[in-house]
Amino acid sequence: MNATILRSMMMTSLRDRISLFYATLFPLGLFAGLGLSIDTPGYAPRLMVGVMALGTLFWSMAGQSFQVLQQRNKGVYKLLRVAPLKPLPFIWWMILARTILGVAMSGLLVLAGVLLFDIRVAVSGLANGLPLLVAGSLCFTALGFFVANLAKNEARVNMISNLLYVPMVLGSEAFYSLDRVPSWLAAAGRAFPFHYLVDGLQRTMISGGPLPVTALLMLALFTAAGLALAAATFRWDEHQPVLGAKG
Amino acid sequence: MQMLVKAKGLRKSYRNRTVVDGIDLAFRRGETVAIIGPNGAGKSTTLDMILGLKKADGGTVRFWRDDPLGRIGVQLQQTPFFPGLSALENLKLFASFYRVKLTDARARELLELCGLLEAAGTEASRLSGGQQKRLAIAAGLVHDPELVFLDEPTAALDPKARREVHALIARLANAGTTVVLTSHDMEEVHRLAARVVMIIRGRIAADGAPDELCAKHGVAGLEELYIQLTEAKEGVRG
Repeated sequence: MNATILRSMMMTSLRDRISLFYATLFPLGLFAGLGLSIDTPGYAPRLMVGVMALGTLFWSMAGQSFQVLQQRNKGVYKLLRVAPLKPLPFIWWMILARTILGVAMSGLLVLAGVLLFDIRVAVSGLANGLPLLVAGSLCFTALGFFVANLAKNEARVNMISNLLYVPMVLGSEAFYSLDRVPSWLAAAGRAFPFHYLVDGLQRTMISGGPLPVTALLMLALFTAAGLALAAATFRWDEHQPVLGAKG
Repeated sequence: MQMLVKAKGLRKSYRNRTVVDGIDLAFRRGETVAIIGPNGAGKSTTLDMILGLKKADGGTVRFWRDDPLGRIGVQLQQTPFFPGLSALENLKLFASFYRVKLTDARARELLELCGLLEAAGTEASRLSGGQQKRLAIAAGLVHDPELVFLDEPTAALDPKARREVHALIARLANAGTTVVLTSHDMEEVHRLAARVVMIIRGRIAADGAPDELCAKHGVAGLEELYIQLTEAKEGVRG
């Protein structure tokens, strides 16, 4: 049964053309476009990791929040309440499917980096980066759930997501160094999980360092917080108040 | 006939407004029951409380077995399909919710029963309204339930699609499945249901076989009965 759920969730995610575009073509195009136009030595690996983190953010958070919103509004969760399968295992398989696909998409970026820019990533770098990618995907997926719980429609999902994306991306070192930005912006960036994903991926996949435990722990902490928020605000159907009784 | 569901004294209020006001309702094995009543009368809330989708403020619900969920099929007013998945793939996924492994052969059999065999490979969201409704009913049958709840199964359907859903419900009833449906179409109710329960202002206003109810109230048909009882209980609004 679980294999059916996992396979179905992977298929429904892969057939969602809009989030697939933002998770594959957009990051690959961004990587290739910027990589070919910015001819600064050593920038391509940083760009690869930055785009990888950005792709993970979009795929996991935006993709998940739109998927949850759609499923709720179509009555899927309501139907789950009258079936023996409880929503939590279903949600878990949905998150796992998205995480597996997200990691696979990051693999495409590494492949593009190797083929287009001759980036050398050590096996140990990949091995140490993998737990971070998984943790990052889980974390943003949990936040995606939370965003979907707060929103009643697609426009609200966009609005709330953008409120989180902007400080996360601008306050991270995904595409530039924070040495010359105002200190408050750097501090704001550290208040979000995206910073730790970017930092951890840079340390492992670019510098070849060991698995950064602090980054992994911070991502785990944000995942736990995201899950707690998602659980506290979970709504079975679209008519349930955004922040209110569980019915 | 064996009692499958027995609800007693169900009550529900929203912000001091009583929606369901002490409803006693029982469904027996093999019967086809239609629950009718004006919008906001408490039909859906009653069914939601029986199914556990809403918490009752008072009253009890008892089922014929301790773990009824695996033996109950539900068709909601919404059509809960997963985008990107075909009709067949959706059915297999829904079966997994009931911990049932649906084989291709069984899924096709179910689709054929619902007149959807040709649409097996079509993405569910691309199906017509009538086909989606039938697929929603098929999704409620993947685990071969003993009791099926159909919430307005023919709402917003064209006459042809409506007729197909009627035939499907009749087939279910003939196969011995207990069917509980809600509807606003009195002709449909008369055609399909052996028993009608009318709810007005959160209370049961009538309960019985359609012909018996019509004879008892001295009316020619269910529509007349509906109007008579609604006007009597709610008062004519002008």
